Amino acid sequence: MALIETAGLTKEYGQVKALNGLDFQLEPGIIGLVGANGAGKSTLIKILLGLVAPTSGRASVLGMDVAAEARGIRKVVGYMPEHDCLPPDVGATEFVTHMARISGLPRTAARERTAEVLRHVGLYEERYRQIGGYSTGMKQRVKLAQALAHDPKLLLLDEPTNGLDPTGRDEMLDLIKRTGTEFGISVVVASHLLGEIEQVCSFLLAIDAGRVLKAAPISTFTQRTSVLAVEVEEGADRLAAALMGRGFRAKQDEACVLIALEDEALYDAVRDAVADLGLPLVRIQQERRRLEDIFREAVPASAGAQ
Amino acid sequence: MSTANRVTASSPTGNIYDLGYRHYDGKRRGRWYAAWSLYVDSLRGIWGFGRPMSAKAAPFILAGLYAFPAAIQLAFSSVIAQSVKEGNAANLFEYGNYFTGLGILMILFCVAQAPEVVCRDQRYQVLPLYFTRAMGRSDYALARLASLSTALFLALMVPMFALFVGDVLMGADAFAAIGTELPKSLPSIPANLLVAVSMASISLALSSYSPRRAYSAIGLVAYFLLMEAVPAIIYGVGQHAGWTWADKLVLTTPITSLQAATDWFFGRSLTARGFPDTLGPDAYVLACIASAALFTGILLFRYRRVAA
Repeated sequence: MALIETAGLTKEYGQVKALNGLDFQLEPGIIGLVGANGAGKSTLIKILLGLVAPTSGRASVLGMDVAAEARGIRKVVGYMPEHDCLPPDVGATEFVTHMARISGLPRTAARERTAEVLRHVGLYEERYRQIGGYSTGMKQRVKLAQALAHDPKLLLLDEPTNGLDPTGRDEMLDLIKRTGTEFGISVVVASHLLGEIEQVCSFLLAIDAGRVLKAAPISTFTQRTSVLAVEVEEGADRLAAALMGRGFRAKQDEACVLIALEDEALYDAVRDAVADLGLPLVRIQQERRRLEDIFREAVPASAGAQ
Repeated sequence: MSTANRVTASSPTGNIYDLGYRHYDGKRRGRWYAAWSLYVDSLRGIWGFGRPMSAKAAPFILAGLYAFPAAIQLAFSSVIAQSVKEGNAANLFEYGNYFTGLGILMILFCVAQAPEVVCRDQRYQVLPLYFTRAMGRSDYALARLASLSTALFLALMVPMFALFVGDVLMGADAFAAIGTELPKSLPSIPANLLVAVSMASISLALSSYSPRRAYSAIGLVAYFLLMEAVPAIIYGVGQHAGWTWADKLVLTTPITSLQAATDWFFGRSLTARGFPDTLGPDAYVLACIASAALFTGILLFRYRRVAA
């Protein structure tokens, strides 16, 4: 059974087409839903949850139609919204227990699940304090906890790393990965940062302006998009020329040289070239390329296929 | 035992109790249970339970003030009984005139607590979490309405109970007094139920249109003041100008109608209070029921539309 399936899914807000005939089929796993701001990610998630009705087309989640069986879907789905959604004057334990009960868990089960889930997301002593005093990272954890409280079969996470610092971001991504692999819950992560999606997802669905840009396993994306950035204090032009002379696709970008990472031999080549030229090396880094870059590449390649 | 402890002490302590993620295979209940859970949580919230102390202040002070005269009457019941026995006319609170005298405090209760019930979830955007669970939008609105109605009903009934106890104690024979007091006090249950549901539906329907507590509160005060004053003024002018339709307007007042409806339950006449006697008290009862239905409809309509 497909996790999520859509056919000709369209949503119009007045003149604006938020979704423009989406057709795709997703299998269980950790799915990255990428797109720039305004691409239609949140609209898609809201349609899948039955919060918003599509203008035309249909969609189904775990074999249930979003229009006819919205209530059935909501029972087995956990949703973490993009925006703040926590009242400040209650504790995390009380709030998550309440939400678990709204999901239909009896009182004692709701309490047990809450304790367990809060521990999983990494909230300990502070869980009795009022949410208003939490840091952004802790609030994101509570938001994830309330989505997990009723043990859903599918988690829909809308920009889960919003507003987190790099450490918090990595921890959240790790949690998402554990949820998908260890807990065996399918996850759809919406994000505009491709780097995050690369870290945790097994499958990627890229949408742009309400259309499917590409739907494929993550490996097909990263191979084509990895770039090695080599920063030198001087002589970036000479380095770029030397690397091109060795048959790599290199480009100078101010003090950096960007080289398409298609071959492991590149690392050795960079080392040798820098040493031969005697350049002061600052850093070598595998670049997480921004979504716009991949889109620029993906559009001509896949527009015809989709 | 000690050996086991020593063994575990060398392993990472954080993992001793970590059983990993466990799936939940237990019972899952449906929408009625969800609505009931929301109702209970909401009722606790109105009285400030599970919230900081400051959240308890407004509801308890207002409910306390409302019950205060009845409590005083209860405290001095023996003195009052003595005085009545000596032939002094006592101007006391009864079941039938209590809300008429002190209803203003219940307006304040609504102004303070109704925004608390419906504005928080909009302000802090909690609604999507409810509407993506096994709970419908109407379930949500009705559970909230039921909770405020219950809270108001409790606040309204506390002084009724105090009056009952006081009246029983005033009697020479307590057991006989219960027998005579009970039938007199019983109409307070349906009367206060009507008051509670009517005031709760008006307050919640109006509050739900703003996510801001302050605006909701101001809107409620404005509604209760204007809807009391304007029909009364038009009625007053109409009496001189000979507008025969003006008495119908009094039916639209939120509080005066409820006071008149209370009189119907206790079989009191309206004329003593300067209400238009062209309409019977039963007309006010119907008006209050119609108003409760109308505002419940408005509340449901609001939650059909509200963005989530």
